[in-house]
Amino acid sequence: MNDLALVLLAGVAAFIPRYFPMLFFSKRKIPDWFNEWMGFVPVSLFTALIVKQIFVTSTYTFSVGNIAAMISAVLVIVIAYFTRSMTLSVVLGLLLMWALTTFL
Amino acid sequence: MKKEPANWLAVLKIAMPLCLSYIPIGLACGVLLHAGGLNTWLVALVSLIVYSGGAQFLIATMLTIHAPISQIVIMLFFLELRYALLGSSLSHYLKKSSHKFILGFAFSLNDENYAVNYLKFATDKYWTPSNALLVEHYALYTWAFSNVVGSLIGSSLHINLVIVDFALTALFLFMVTMQVKRRLTLLTAILAGALSAFFCVALKSTLGIVIATLLASTAGFLADRVIRSMAPGSSLLYKVRGPSGTRETINEQELTEERLLKEEQEKDKDHDHE
Repeated sequence: MNDLALVLLAGVAAFIPRYFPMLFFSKRKIPDWFNEWMGFVPVSLFTALIVKQIFVTSTYTFSVGNIAAMISAVLVIVIAYFTRSMTLSVVLGLLLMWALTTFL
Repeated sequence: MKKEPANWLAVLKIAMPLCLSYIPIGLACGVLLHAGGLNTWLVALVSLIVYSGGAQFLIATMLTIHAPISQIVIMLFFLELRYALLGSSLSHYLKKSSHKFILGFAFSLNDENYAVNYLKFATDKYWTPSNALLVEHYALYTWAFSNVVGSLIGSSLHINLVIVDFALTALFLFMVTMQVKRRLTLLTAILAGALSAFFCVALKSTLGIVIATLLASTAGFLADRVIRSMAPGSSLLYKVRGPSGTRETINEQELTEERLLKEEQEKDKDHDHE
């Protein structure tokens, strides 16, 4: 039940920013400041999520104990930078994580 | 306007690379949403009404870290705000379309079909809004189908969550790496990370992620404005060097060349008419 509510609300949250600006701006010009601000949102959000997943435990304490994830993360950045391939980054990242959690 | 004998097939050809690339991502997304606790019906529903890889991966992540619904929805809204941008930039091609059409078009808009349609609108003057909607729908059905299959695979496999969770981290790491094109963006990302750790621990809640995103993106945006007006030569505005000859640069070049070519052809046609 909760999950259904989540999915429906998620649908609303996804729909509002797609529809109203498109309707609104079919008559007017997009303000520059909005463009610029939105340019910084995904990068901030994704980094915030990454840091939470690697450095903050499920009981909300700061931890540098997840060595496997830290090493894998650095290597994924290197892989992403040189290959520019999402598939390679994710697949090799998973393999690294699997190998490191198994053998460390 | 020339009428194509099989318009749906021509459009399908254009949408095909997009559809194919959705299959592996959709499968992965379905597996993760299932691991996050959604059943197959809900995975199907979320793929149809949210229809965005980034957003669905975010939902899966937030579900695995047990964030409350309100926070998931707020984060999602923030992530999806970028569509305000994409939607607005397509809107002038839809000036002649009805409100009802715009409603349907906006409903199935996402990053990838936006890219395809924007390019087609910009380079092909016979590209119509209804063709664009068709591209959106082909991609939508492929996406939803892959997600459902993924969730079915997920329910028949026993999956190590610690490792599967890292798929999301790897995906986000990839996205950040691809988006850091300037030193200032890198600094914004580092700030977001530090604030996220601080606020998550201080508030004992994933709300820290929301606050970190808001503060860091606003700080990056304001810093960008101030630096550009006060010190336009600042080294903070330098680009971050990517490896040379990357796929992206090549693509961009091709796109520009393609557009220039089309424009020239159109000019020639205009001259012929005169």
